[in-house]
Amino acid sequence: MSEQTLPFAGRLNWRAPLPHSRRGKVLVAIRLAGVVALAAIAANTPGFFTAVSLFSLLNTTSFIGCVAIGMTFITLSGNIMSFALGVTLSTSGIVFMAALPLGLGGALIVAFAFGAAVTGAQGFVVGYFRANPIIVSMAALALITGGATLITQGQGVYPQGDAAAPLKGRVFGVSMPLAAFIFTVVVAQIALSFTRFGRQLYMVGSNWRASLAAGLDPARIVLGAYIAAGLCTALAGILMAARYSSGDLELGIGYDYSAISAVLVGGTAISGGEGSAIRSFVGAFIIAICQVLLLLHGFSTQIQYLTIGVIVLLVIMLQTLADTD
Amino acid sequence: MRPLLANRSVRPYLLLVAITVVLWILDGGQGRFFTTATAFSVLQQFATIGPIALGLGLSMIIREFDLSVGGMISLAGCIAVLTGASHPELGVALAVLFGLAWGLFQGAIMVWLRLGSIGVTLGGLLTLGGLAYVVTGNLSISYPRMDVALAVNRPVLSIFSFRSLIAFAVFLVAAFFMARTRVGRDVYATGSDRRAAMVAGVRTSAIIPAVFACSGMLAALGGSLLSYSLAAASGEALTDALVPATAAAIIGGVSLMGGKGTPIGMIGGVLVLCLLRAGLNAVGTPPAVQDIVTGGVLFLVAIADAVDLDPRLFAIRRYCAEMFFRRDDLGRPRQASPAE
Repeated sequence: MSEQTLPFAGRLNWRAPLPHSRRGKVLVAIRLAGVVALAAIAANTPGFFTAVSLFSLLNTTSFIGCVAIGMTFITLSGNIMSFALGVTLSTSGIVFMAALPLGLGGALIVAFAFGAAVTGAQGFVVGYFRANPIIVSMAALALITGGATLITQGQGVYPQGDAAAPLKGRVFGVSMPLAAFIFTVVVAQIALSFTRFGRQLYMVGSNWRASLAAGLDPARIVLGAYIAAGLCTALAGILMAARYSSGDLELGIGYDYSAISAVLVGGTAISGGEGSAIRSFVGAFIIAICQVLLLLHGFSTQIQYLTIGVIVLLVIMLQTLADTD
Repeated sequence: MRPLLANRSVRPYLLLVAITVVLWILDGGQGRFFTTATAFSVLQQFATIGPIALGLGLSMIIREFDLSVGGMISLAGCIAVLTGASHPELGVALAVLFGLAWGLFQGAIMVWLRLGSIGVTLGGLLTLGGLAYVVTGNLSISYPRMDVALAVNRPVLSIFSFRSLIAFAVFLVAAFFMARTRVGRDVYATGSDRRAAMVAGVRTSAIIPAVFACSGMLAALGGSLLSYSLAAASGEALTDALVPATAAAIIGGVSLMGGKGTPIGMIGGVLVLCLLRAGLNAVGTPPAVQDIVTGGVLFLVAIADAVDLDPRLFAIRRYCAEMFFRRDDLGRPRQASPAE
């Protein structure tokens, strides 16, 4: 193991089990088979293609999806995941609710700035000092949870007035969370594919040392990735707080795990440098579809948790086929 | 003093003394802190966090990280409570066996598919969490044997309990193995330079599953005893112990870059963290402050252990020297170089 790879993110060994091209084809075939199987089950499930089930599917996926897009930036930058995005979601919702007396615009700015600052601080430490991202995000989780509990005394924050009402409406006939999710996916994908930042992010994620040698400033790019993650998470937090008309620390519990599940199921590599926002979009929907299918077939919520866990484990095991180095 | 400070396993104990002094000053002679009750509560927390920190620390010594302990704690608790109603030992044994099997499974996947530990154990965390929900039916289940719950927590020698004695015993066994056996040397070799270790004949593909099996067993042991002592188990609490256990292992001198740290140092690390939490509790700060302190410590340690810390500090020092003192980085008065 070279000194430059992060501990415990990389591969244990350096020999390839199959030639690259064949491994890639096997992987694509397995993924296609999975999607086809899922579609077949969905088609044979009575009630799946009804409007109610689809709309509830789309709405619940939107919140997780926004966080997953944010997580995608962190994963792509080679920093695996952040455990603090769930609590960042809840706290930006709280900040939004508390700032509502400033008016909708002011509250939005404050909440976005909060999300970007909190997550950006992790990005700064991870990028400039190359601290371990997992440990830093655990520290951030404890710090934000503790700080927020201390300030709110563990109580929910409720809005003054109805300045947040526009966020509960519909845009072009779709609900606000879904519109925001699609907007986030489009913007994120454009940023990743067509901007210099996106290209540099892929390079930093796939090889930090090479990006340094190529004259990039990897620290700044990692910082940018974390700020983007903070913005996406704050968006989810704001919409969630508006939807439930309260900001509460409980809102975001488990969202970091759901988000990283979506990112990985979508096929973004956990070692960084490979993946996209659209993949996470697809991943979030695959997970949501699985949940709805299990629900329609009469399985309880606990089976859903287990299924998602097993799917993530399998997807990670499959990634060994995609790993090319 | 210098060599003492340089020893990673001694540092947590120096910190322990420092924190005791600070808490004593904070207490201001009110006698809230130096009581057997505080000592007992420190050791009770030690019993909860200790085995988990040891397992995580061992996985960090081989330069991996076992995220799945978070799920293992709750699942092991559920297994123990569900199967140990008539024979408590059987419940713990089953939970620990499951931890062993799961750890071996994860380690085997990593070696066989050549995967990094974060991905595999993240999948493991989610799967174990899901399993815990499934076996409990998404409810909090209670343990009918109150006598066992009381027995594992009953004070022994006024500050210890059955649980904390077990935790110490586990640490001492680990310390013996790491310091005195070939397996221990092999574990350190695997963590400091895996390639060199393989070349030197260390069977790293056996060491990795073994360490993850230990980590699974320790988390299962901690989780099942915790559930006994609370007389309850549930599928919730995915990371509650993960953050303090990680912090404790790192404070105890384990390096994220692998190959460094000892179980004896980890005892000190866990004690430092538990003393901080119990001490803050004793002098009457709200529980959220404990979170902040744990997080702050973890944050500082993460920076102190960072890969690029030295070059950044050097850059800052040079910048300050030039800006404020008109000196170059060796402390000489700055002269205009001919090139400028």
